[in-house]
Amino acid sequence: MVDSNDTSLSNDRQQSDWGFCCIVAFIGLIAAWLLLMPWIPGIAKHSLQRFHLRTASFSVWAAQFPIPSMYNFANQYKVEQYPPGFVMMILDENENWRYANHFPARVITFFAGRYDFLSSQQDRWFTLKSSYRGQVLESKFHLEAQAEGGYKLIRIDEVEESL
Amino acid sequence: MNKITQAFQRLQSAGLNRPLAAYRLVQAAILISLFWKWEFFLQANSIYANTPVEDPFFPDWLRSVTTIRFAFWGSALATGISLITSINLLRKTCSWLGFFGITLMCVHQGSYNDMTFVTIWWCCLWSVWLSHRVDTDQQELLMRRAAFLSRLIISLILLGGAAGKWTPEYWSGEVLFDIYFLDRDFWLFNYLRANYEPAELQEIAKWYSRQIVVVETISGIGLWVLPARWAALIATIILSVIVILSNKYLVSVIACLIGLACVGFFVPRRPRNAATLASPATEEPAAN
Repeated sequence: MVDSNDTSLSNDRQQSDWGFCCIVAFIGLIAAWLLLMPWIPGIAKHSLQRFHLRTASFSVWAAQFPIPSMYNFANQYKVEQYPPGFVMMILDENENWRYANHFPARVITFFAGRYDFLSSQQDRWFTLKSSYRGQVLESKFHLEAQAEGGYKLIRIDEVEESL
Repeated sequence: MNKITQAFQRLQSAGLNRPLAAYRLVQAAILISLFWKWEFFLQANSIYANTPVEDPFFPDWLRSVTTIRFAFWGSALATGISLITSINLLRKTCSWLGFFGITLMCVHQGSYNDMTFVTIWWCCLWSVWLSHRVDTDQQELLMRRAAFLSRLIISLILLGGAAGKWTPEYWSGEVLFDIYFLDRDFWLFNYLRANYEPAELQEIAKWYSRQIVVVETISGIGLWVLPARWAALIATIILSVIVILSNKYLVSVIACLIGLACVGFFVPRRPRNAATLASPATEEPAAN
């Protein structure tokens, strides 16, 4: 099955191609990042913060976009009509949680989430919880309805995390 | 496999410029991915205009629906032109424009989370590189490098999926049970819900999830070391199965990757005895 001619690039006369080398190096760098993620908590922490839009700066967050992250982490979200703790919950809390495949903040920012949860033009409270190999990041957001239409996103400071 | 190889050898003898053909195939696949998102674009166009979310984390212009409109249409138009043009300079320019537009989609508030734009971005990066090399006189070397890069990119994307699933919630099937098995309207999950009890579904979800973790891990780590045509075949099968067994929305994420995977089929098979020759194999570029 294996044809060594197909995998060997070194048999050919080397023609300098910096673009090719840069892309290969870039891929190697990202692969190393991914392979180290389970073993280095700091990498997982960065990635969890990226998923919750809680990276220290937008530019650092944006620089991570090439890192593929399809269906990463156990991401849960909960949407409420009242501030957390305002109403005594009679129902089991677990009933409100649903899983999201990746980037759980999508339930606020992506078109489907906006349609499902923000069509009413009433305030909503979102809680996001992502976990990866024992690390958990929880974030709370208040989506405040604006008189002129749309919402203002307010990050609620009291967040629980065990990173 | 031999039939596929023979078909491509016939195309070569007919004067096919392999790198250019591979480039065009990937552009067509990118267009399929983009326009599979047509419904997204229509709905996003309306919802983002009517329900803006003010978040200081994103710069204003990366929350604007106007930016998405320009980025989406600009990328589609540039990719369409780069697919059909025979002018090298125009092809290079359009590759860069498509790359730039998709980069915006990857960091825009309304589309950053959609993996479609990340997989397209990697295809665009590959396209930019190839567009600057396509007129080389060493077509075989270029084709091998293009195929190597393509399977390296696909491996990386699968590895990215795998690494994030190396966590107990995926090994137990808990995550995918909630996302897919509970209420997803797709032929496979509708069938399973109609024929199995909830406890059985959880067991099926566990093994469904585990096979995804294993397949993504193995292919993420090992696909790029396979020979070009075998990697192309295996990647195409794996990517197609992901769509068939998951959901139709993944077509947009996967279609461009299948196009990229097929680049491996364009690598010419060398005669066995040619491996012992020291001289490089070169092909003159054929007419467009």
